[in-house]
Amino acid sequence: MAVYQQVVRSLGNALWFLGEIFGNILRGKIRFGEVLKQVYEQGLQSVVIVVLTSLASGLVLALQGYVAMSRFGAKEFVADLVALSLVRELGPVFTALVFSGKAGARITAELGTMNVNDQILATRTLGVDPMEFLVVPRMVACFLVLPILTIISEFCGIMGGYFVGVTQAHIAGVYYINETIRAIHYVDFFSGFIKVFFFAILIGWICCYEGFSTKGGSLGVGKYTTKAVAYSYIFVILLNTLLTKVILTFWG
Amino acid sequence: MIRVRNVSKSFNDQLVLNDVSLDIKSEEIFVVLGESGAGKSVLLKHLIGLLQPDSGTIQIDNEDITHLPESKLLKMRKKMGYLFQEGALYDFMTVFENIAFPLREHAHLDEKTIRQKVKDILKMIDLDEVEEKMPAQLSGGMKKRVALARAMILDSKILFCDEPTSGLDPIRSRDVSDLIRNVSRKFGCTTVITSHDIRNSFRVADRLALIHDGKIIAMGTQDELKASKDAFVKEFIS
Ligand SMILES: Nc1ncnc2c1ncn2[C@@H]1O[C@H](COP(=O)(O)OP(=O)(O)O)[C@@H](O)[C@H]1O
Ligand SMILES: [Mg+2]
Repeated sequence: MAVYQQVVRSLGNALWFLGEIFGNILRGKIRFGEVLKQVYEQGLQSVVIVVLTSLASGLVLALQGYVAMSRFGAKEFVADLVALSLVRELGPVFTALVFSGKAGARITAELGTMNVNDQILATRTLGVDPMEFLVVPRMVACFLVLPILTIISEFCGIMGGYFVGVTQAHIAGVYYINETIRAIHYVDFFSGFIKVFFFAILIGWICCYEGFSTKGGSLGVGKYTTKAVAYSYIFVILLNTLLTKVILTFWG
Repeated sequence: MIRVRNVSKSFNDQLVLNDVSLDIKSEEIFVVLGESGAGKSVLLKHLIGLLQPDSGTIQIDNEDITHLPESKLLKMRKKMGYLFQEGALYDFMTVFENIAFPLREHAHLDEKTIRQKVKDILKMIDLDEVEEKMPAQLSGGMKKRVALARAMILDSKILFCDEPTSGLDPIRSRDVSDLIRNVSRKFGCTTVITSHDIRNSFRVADRLALIHDGKIIAMGTQDELKASKDAFVKEFIS
């Protein structure tokens, strides 16, 4: 019973927190200078690892796909396989997971440290709303950075696939690219891409909220940061399942 | 003028403030004494609206702030300064940016005037050559000075200091205490300090209160406290 009540209360607080964020955004309380700083930090921090993971997953997809499809004499479809998997599922989900671990962890650790050092309370004593000053810019930055990272990730993944396709499967480069474009056009790039915006809100929300809830000194910062990343992973994966179902039902 | 009436506050099942009432006069320096865990910080946070009491009222300059919404409190706090125990400077800003922050937020001044104001207040708190340093590069005493400058930069009329001497050696403690007194007099502001540092409290205070188990058990001038017959008061201030 106590656990159940606690869950309900935390969920209520978290929802109220999200409401505050959107309230500020709707009232136009967006500090563009701060947003820019956050975009720069979040983007710069994640871009290298996003490029690496997506290149690697493109390579592996193409290698596996080439072996499997050769058996059916359909190795040309490697391009379709890579493009379709990346654009519909792997690109958005992998990027969101990597982003949680890098930028998300950073958000929670920063806000958490500020919280245990009284910097967030101090903001209120200085007559400034910490939501507006600290949280909204981070949230808006997530919303801008994650889609860009996803596009970079999908591009790199396709490049990885292209490399395998051309050097291992001996598919003509032009053919591979044309096939990729056709495939992306066919599966509708946006049916995968739209998920990214939901992931961005989810990650920003969880990581800012956990940062704001942090207590217990430097130990607490570690605890809440790992918690925020774990929650982000779990809920990105759950939300992805739900969104995929909805998108396939209504969009095809 | 700060008027606290019958304020009680509990966290979970722990009664931290138990029916606290006190009046703090304009432009006086008032020290709240007590052991650690007595509820000093909790009381101070009530005075600036960071916490709200379960019962009782808090008035500042005849305005009841007990149940003001945060948006109103944010506006009120522009004329108040709050010095946190560890300073609570923004660690991602330089000293200059920290002190300039309230000016940039609320004062709409040009860059040159902001520079000058920061310079002036740094001089008043006896620090120079620190503008471009990050807070992490400062000693504990310097952090508190910078935090005091940030708290006062908007010409605050009320200053709250939470244990300004804790964590400092005896000499730095005395210096920071004297500085608070000087700044407070110069700005003509009402000042409330929490402390368990008897000696420096007696140095700076016009009046004091002693809080124990969430209750005010003694209040008055230094001499009045020293004349108290209460066993705990005697033990605490001896
Ligand atoms: N936000 C809070 N939640 C729960 N308990 C708190 C909170 N703030 C303070 N307390 C408790 O209230 C008591 C008084 O705290 P405090 O005012 O910080 O003491 P001090 O006199 O040392 O400043 C302590 O027992 C502390 O654990
Ligand atoms: Mg305290």
